Amino acid sequence: MATSKDIMEALADYKEQCNNNKRLRRMQRDWSKLLHFIASDTGDKFTMEVKNGEIIRNEAGARGVPDVIVTATSEDMCDMFWGDLNPAQKYLDGKILVKATPEDVQRIDAITMIIWPEG
Amino acid sequence: MTESNDSLQKLKDQALADYARHVSPMKVRTLTQAGVNLIEDRREGTSVWDITGKKYIDCMTGAGIMNVGRRNPEIIQALKQALDTLDIGVFLFMSKPKADLAKKLSEIAPGGLSCTVFGVGGGEAVDTAIKLARGYSMKPEIIYTDKAYHGHTGFALSAIGRDAFREPFEPLMPGFKKVPYNDAQALEAAITADTAAVILETIQGEGGINVPSDDYLPQVRRICDEHEVLLILDEIQTGMGRTGKMFACEHWGVTPDIMTIAKSLGGGIYPISATIYRKELQDFFIPHPFIHLSTFGGSDLGCVVALATIEYIQKNHLLEHATQMGDRFRKGFDRILANYPDLLLEVRQKGLMMGLQYSNGSIGPRLTKKFAERGVLAVYTGNDPSVCRLMPSLVITPEEVDFVLNALDDSMKELSEEGGIGKND
Repeated sequence: MATSKDIMEALADYKEQCNNNKRLRRMQRDWSKLLHFIASDTGDKFTMEVKNGEIIRNEAGARGVPDVIVTATSEDMCDMFWGDLNPAQKYLDGKILVKATPEDVQRIDAITMIIWPEG
Repeated sequence: MTESNDSLQKLKDQALADYARHVSPMKVRTLTQAGVNLIEDRREGTSVWDITGKKYIDCMTGAGIMNVGRRNPEIIQALKQALDTLDIGVFLFMSKPKADLAKKLSEIAPGGLSCTVFGVGGGEAVDTAIKLARGYSMKPEIIYTDKAYHGHTGFALSAIGRDAFREPFEPLMPGFKKVPYNDAQALEAAITADTAAVILETIQGEGGINVPSDDYLPQVRRICDEHEVLLILDEIQTGMGRTGKMFACEHWGVTPDIMTIAKSLGGGIYPISATIYRKELQDFFIPHPFIHLSTFGGSDLGCVVALATIEYIQKNHLLEHATQMGDRFRKGFDRILANYPDLLLEVRQKGLMMGLQYSNGSIGPRLTKKFAERGVLAVYTGNDPSVCRLMPSLVITPEEVDFVLNALDDSMKELSEEGGIGKND
């Protein structure tokens, strides 16, 4: 089980990876979304705001009305942000739940492919 | 010499790598994750084989391209024979295959649809329909429906009811207004003095196999008549026998002013589409006979293939067969619905156009994968991933229907035993 602090650290790493990737930023420049992440085992919630492809905010707690809600165990959530698991595979196995449009699900997978191409 | 499994897998891996490198890496990734990264190899009847030799019953059929089955030998024979004397022909000139097919289409289309403009694909047929409606009426407005799918070309894209397909390419054609599907009152309220036409899929395909209520299409017809607005019905997925009638609008006794057909018109062998319209609308083309041209539209080879396809459907009573196999599916669905009421909410169906409505948007992709593991290709609908579309070839046998139903039952059982499933709220 991962703590809220672990997940915030993983989110910070993810933000750095995404925001420092010029190709990804250009590809996602028309994507502005509010995402909520819910740790199913601990109940911890997190908010990520993406504006024009840039992650501008990560914070503990669920803020605002989300476009995307991702629910996973705290361990899977950390692994997802560290690139240690394939979120799409977990999604198809029913281990990660995503409430979003198909386009947003595709976008999230595209981010994964760009920052962890071998994943 | 039989190639070993290893060498076949290497062939597959190379093809996937080449496709990813030169066509679309994300498509390869997505289809691989969904368990449907087959490299289409052998195709026959209702089935397709991956290059590694794995057989699948094809219930996707390119959303209805393969109504007469894959590589139907009679259609292939017709094409081979045509190649002895024909080529694609020159679009500017007349030919006997073009004339024969246009005449045949007027015989099988609902009453009064007697003239045709040929094209290559469905989007082109829809573009032509909208051009004809605007040109004939000299009015700009087109009313389309939410979740509609009419293709990705210019006018067709402007009538597509999914923002994700539209937004990157805006501004699209002006004058297009969206209304809810299956809501005749909303449609009537949207009509103005500038409305040229209403365009609808008779049954929405990509939108989630949405079968309209029985009074919807007759009401739409009446409204269009009262307001002197043209009715365009898109029968690209529903036509050519898919629903147990040659065209789905026949179920409701409704004849459009313009009808688009494509996909199975080409028998799965040769691309061809048609925009069929009432004779009165020919008045637009009389002063403008060359205003809409398509280099490969209605190629002579395509016309021969389309004629053979229609003949095959009629000769083999595929309309009746589609109804019977649809009924067989229905009985199986009812049993599965009763067993998994929290996962499978309803089945929407007309003949062999079938949509399974799940309780959760993630179930469509997950079921696609489980189906594939069991040798069935069935992909969720493009505009609604909570719906799995089943559109097998009309030549499907009772045994194959049972195979698909067993695969569904097994998949549902497995899904119900997995965690992570909840109803959308």
